[in-house]
Amino acid sequence: MALLDIEQLSVSFDTDEGTFPAVSDLSLTLEEGEVLGIVGESGSGKSVTMLAMMGLLPFNARVEASRFHFAGQDMQTLNDRARRRLTGNDIAMIFQEPSTSLNPSFTIGFQLLEAIKAHEGGSRRQRRERGIELLDQVGIPAPGKRLNDYPHQLSGGMNQRVMIAMAIACNPRLLIADEPTTALDVTIQAQILDLLLRLQQERGMGMILITHDMGVVAGAAKRVAVMYAGQLMETGASHDVFREPAHPYTGALLNALPERHPGTARLPTIPGVVPGINDRPQGCLFHPRCAHARQDCRASRPALKAVHAETGLGTRHVRCYHPLNEEVLEIAP
Amino acid sequence: MSRPDILDESLLDAPLMEARDLVQTYQVRQGFLRRAELHAVRGVSFTLHAGETLAVVGESGCGKSTLARMLTLVEHPSSGELSVGGRDAANPDQKTLAALRRDVQMVFQNPYGSLNPRKRIGTILEEPLVINTSTPADERRRMARDMLARVGLRPEHYDRYPHMFSGGQRQRIAVARALMLRPRVLVLDEPVSALDVSVQAQVLNLLNDLQKEFGLAYLFISHDLSVVRHVADNVMVMYLGRPVEVGSREALFTTPRHPYTQALLSATPSVNPDERRARIALSGELPSPLSPPSGCAFHRRCPHARPECADKRPELRNVEGARVACHFAEEIMEKRLTGAA
Repeated sequence: MALLDIEQLSVSFDTDEGTFPAVSDLSLTLEEGEVLGIVGESGSGKSVTMLAMMGLLPFNARVEASRFHFAGQDMQTLNDRARRRLTGNDIAMIFQEPSTSLNPSFTIGFQLLEAIKAHEGGSRRQRRERGIELLDQVGIPAPGKRLNDYPHQLSGGMNQRVMIAMAIACNPRLLIADEPTTALDVTIQAQILDLLLRLQQERGMGMILITHDMGVVAGAAKRVAVMYAGQLMETGASHDVFREPAHPYTGALLNALPERHPGTARLPTIPGVVPGINDRPQGCLFHPRCAHARQDCRASRPALKAVHAETGLGTRHVRCYHPLNEEVLEIAP
Repeated sequence: MSRPDILDESLLDAPLMEARDLVQTYQVRQGFLRRAELHAVRGVSFTLHAGETLAVVGESGCGKSTLARMLTLVEHPSSGELSVGGRDAANPDQKTLAALRRDVQMVFQNPYGSLNPRKRIGTILEEPLVINTSTPADERRRMARDMLARVGLRPEHYDRYPHMFSGGQRQRIAVARALMLRPRVLVLDEPVSALDVSVQAQVLNLLNDLQKEFGLAYLFISHDLSVVRHVADNVMVMYLGRPVEVGSREALFTTPRHPYTQALLSATPSVNPDERRARIALSGELPSPLSPPSGCAFHRRCPHARPECADKRPELRNVEGARVACHFAEEIMEKRLTGAA
């Protein structure tokens, strides 16, 4: 049974200008101990999806799904209290900016032990020992002394380690990392990614890694989902998706990377911008920017469909009438 | 208005900007009455010609932003020489300073923070002209509309406010503002790192076109090596205030000589599985510039460090076509080549 099973999730916001569909028709599954990467540009709905899962959206958000199961429990029928206990214990989340996620007025020890107190209890001394053990696990030197430090006394990388320690404190079964390394330096980014993957493997956690950096996903996740304007455009094994993208959006995104064009002065770009609240096109959401758009793309919105048989990492899906690399994908077993 | 003189053949050979041994030292307070010296930048030298791009690479605290402030004449270096277009820019008098300010302009990282939300785009673009020149109002307006068209925006954007634009468009506005005075050198501090991939490509293309059109010299500060590889002619890698490797793009990316450059390259994520080489994991964090390690500043994180490294600081020296500050650069290069084969 899958750890996370979402079918046809949609999230919309009621605003003064009308209803804005931030996420529509999103289906995802995640197995126990699996790492899934979600890639997309700003406004693609990747963070909103995760916040919906955690129940952290503001009051004007409407979440609907035909199926929303976590660890066999139907999240839609749980009452707030049971849901909070579940998401607090079994789902943990870390965010992009470690220095703003931590409260600057309290020591990191206080903030870390607060989480342990709420979920595990134990005596003051046991909690402190547990805190030191956690800081040690995330590679913070001299953890006993660090408990008394304030967030501003630690570097960005160290603060992110503290956030990770908090996240794993309750032994979650699912860890959601929303742009965990975007604010960090390159060498520190590598350290944090290694740490996350090590902890994920040691503990057999499921992990969802949200990022705009396709290089990070390619290195860390076996399976990837590409989002655009609130829809899943393509999912599949990350190796396959990055080598032979099926959706023109994935292809264009990869093509815009400087690393693909050594020695050329101009980069290929995607014309236009991501559609906003008032200019969502008819038909495929990507068609106004797509180089391969035809008549049917303008007429109706394509559904997510499987492009070839299952591999060990689940089926490859694409939301496009005229996928790229069609020949390659169809002869693939 | 235009400056045809920069296209003069004889001037193309002379460097637009030249720095020799730039140093910036700050006095910092450490508690009551205690002061310490913070060496933010030391020993930076380079020459920059028209139409050229020099990329400065490094992590937080390596001194790249301090360097940018010195080059844009916001701060004067504690010591060292700096000249812009042949004129002394390290200790300029008021008149030269005013003239030099027109020659060097800057684009900042965050296009959300660098444009005043209360001002119209037109006002933002004309402000440099109002401050630095005596151009009449109708001429300023014409120049601003003209510049909007050149950076890929429409003249009717003149009356709009910054919040009406996306991140990529704002960065275009920031570039337009920097170009209003027709500078010869543009200092770009992480100009695309706040942008999405597809928008990043658009802005990089724009910068490339403008460089050709105006014969601009770029000093491009970035931590993203894949972007640097795309834009740079020459690269300077900095660590804790000092350059550790300086060389052409080819030299740096094909055979990085300094262990820090090698580690940076290997830590840069890539979507191409063939590009992903064995990662050199660096342990530890960047040391504080207030108490830099003895000897080579990198020795505590360096996988090749030996006892000598803690005693003696390596100077920049030529190693097969690039300048490197490492005692064992030749050995490390060789090891890397045989290891890769």
